Amino acid sequence: MSLIKIALAGEGGQGVQSIAEIMAEAAYNQNMQTIYIPNFGLEQRGGVSIAFLQFSDRRIGAPKFNKADVVIALSERAIGRTAGYSDENTIFMYDNSYPIPEAEFPEKAKKVIGIPAIEIANNKLHPRVFNIIIMGAAIGLTKIVSFEAAKEALIHKLAYKFEKDPNLKELNFKALQMGKEMAEASMQEGVEVRA
Amino acid sequence: MQATIGESKKAFMTGNEIVTWAALAAGAEVMFGYPITPQNEVMHYWTRLAPKYGREFLQTEDEISAGFTVCGAVQAGKKAFTATAGPGNVLMQEPFGMAEAMRLPLVAIIQQRGGPSSGTVVYSQQEVTLTTFGGNGEGNRMVYSTATHQEIFDYVIKGFNVAWKYRFPTFILGDGYQAKMREPLTIYEPQDRGIEMVSPYPLIGKAGSIGVDREAEHLCNIYSLEEELYDVVLQHAEDYERIAPEIIEYEEKECEDADILIISHGVVSRAADDAVKALRAQGIKAGYFRPITLRPFPQQQLRDAIAKSGAKKMLVAESAYGQLYRLIRQEIYGETIPIEGLFMPGVGIIDYDIMNKVKSIL
Repeated sequence: MSLIKIALAGEGGQGVQSIAEIMAEAAYNQNMQTIYIPNFGLEQRGGVSIAFLQFSDRRIGAPKFNKADVVIALSERAIGRTAGYSDENTIFMYDNSYPIPEAEFPEKAKKVIGIPAIEIANNKLHPRVFNIIIMGAAIGLTKIVSFEAAKEALIHKLAYKFEKDPNLKELNFKALQMGKEMAEASMQEGVEVRA
Repeated sequence: MQATIGESKKAFMTGNEIVTWAALAAGAEVMFGYPITPQNEVMHYWTRLAPKYGREFLQTEDEISAGFTVCGAVQAGKKAFTATAGPGNVLMQEPFGMAEAMRLPLVAIIQQRGGPSSGTVVYSQQEVTLTTFGGNGEGNRMVYSTATHQEIFDYVIKGFNVAWKYRFPTFILGDGYQAKMREPLTIYEPQDRGIEMVSPYPLIGKAGSIGVDREAEHLCNIYSLEEELYDVVLQHAEDYERIAPEIIEYEEKECEDADILIISHGVVSRAADDAVKALRAQGIKAGYFRPITLRPFPQQQLRDAIAKSGAKKMLVAESAYGQLYRLIRQEIYGETIPIEGLFMPGVGIIDYDIMNKVKSIL
C-alpha cells in the first residue's frame, strides 16, 4: 500500500480527534506505518479542529502534508479551512445535512461527495455516533484498515462505555457500517447520498 | 532501580509520552516543571507514572525556578530533568547558564513552538539559537535534535548519560509536531540493549575533610576576580573541545557524487530524506546531511561531505528564518560553496517544498 493522506476537520466537540486516534490505532495494530498529528492550536476554545493522518507500508516522512488523498470536512467552516488541502487527486467529502454555499468548496477535487451524517445520526441512530458514521465513511473511502480492525479499535477505545451500556456497542457498529456503505455507494454512483 | 518498561515492546505514542517513558527508563528520579504547550503532556504523563515507580515531581512557580531546582537537585546527586518550550526556554536560560558555569548534569527537553514571544503553541524550529547559544556564556552545551519517535526515546536515555558523564547541560531538542504526533517505535530497558546507565552522584556534601581527605569542590557561578573567571572559562572551553569528537553525531546519505547538498535537522530532515530520494529518481544528484548534535556541531564531517561530493551548492531547509543557516556558516567558515536557504518559520516543510526549491536554484 502506498502512502495515504487524510485530513479530517470539524468543529471542536464533533469528535474528529477521537476517530482519528481510533483509525490510527487500528492501522498501527495491523502493523502499518502510521502518523497521526492533531492540529492543536486554540481550537478547544472554539474553532475548527483538524487531524492529519498518514498511512503507509513504508516509513513516513514529514508529519504534515500540502495535499490530501481524502479530505473530510464536517462543518461549513471546516470546509473553508480544508479546501486548500484538496487538488485534482483529492476526494473531498462533506456533510450535506445542511446547505453549504458553493463558494466554500475547493476549487480542485477529483470528486466531491456529500453524505448526510448529521441527519442520519440524529434521525436514525443517535447524535453521539455522528463521528462514528464519519469514521465508517473514511474507511469506506480509503480501505486503510479492514472493517473488522476498525471494530476492534473501536471496542478498545470505548470498552468502558460499552461495559456500562451494551446497547452502545451495536449502535456504534451500526453507525460504522452505515458510514462505510454510504461512502462506498457514493463512490460507485458518483451521486450525492440523501437521507 | 525498579524496571519500568520490562521486555522490549512496540508502542504507538505521542512524543511527549515517549519522553516520559524514556526518562523513567533512564532512571530519572525527579522532574521539575512549569506548564507550557506543547510540552505539557511530558508533565502530565510524568505525574501519572512517576509515583508508580517511586519518582518525584514538583511544579514550581515558573520556569526560572524549574530550571534552578534542577540545578539544585543534581548537586544533591539526583537524576533530575525539566521540559519546556518557547517563552519557557527563554526564562530557563539563566539556570541553563548556571548549569554551564557549574558544570551541572542538567537535562532539558525542549519542544519548540513558534516565536518570537508567545508566537504559536504549535510548531517551529526557532529555538535553535536559543538552545545552542542562549545565555551569557559560550554555548558549552550538548544539543541533540531528534527526527523520529524512536530517536526521542533513544536520545533522552543517551542525554542523561552524557550529562552525567561529561557534566555539561544536555538538551533534547524536539518540536510541537514531534511532541503531539503519534508514530510507532520500540521501547526498551537500556540495559537490555547493552546501555550502561551512568549512576548519579552527589556533587557537594561529600565525605571526608577538605584538604585532608579530598580536594574542595568549587561549584561556582560567580567570581571575585576577572582572572579567576578567565581561567575557568578557558578550562571549560578546553574540556568541551576535547570531548566534542566523542559527542558529535550526524547522518549522511548520497553525498559522494551530489551536485547539491541538502542540510536540515530535526523533523525537517524526514522531508529532506524523501526529497533526496525523489530528486535522485528524477536524475538530480542530491545529497543529504543532517547534524544530529547541533552543539557540538559536526563541522569537520560537513566539510568532508562538501569536499568529497564536489557539490556546487548547498541548501539549508529549516522551519526558522536562518537559525541553522547561521550556525552552519559559522561552523564551516572558509568554505566557498554557495549556500541557499529554504526558510519557513513556524510551518512544516514537506519533500515537495524542498524539491521545488532545489529545482529553482540548480
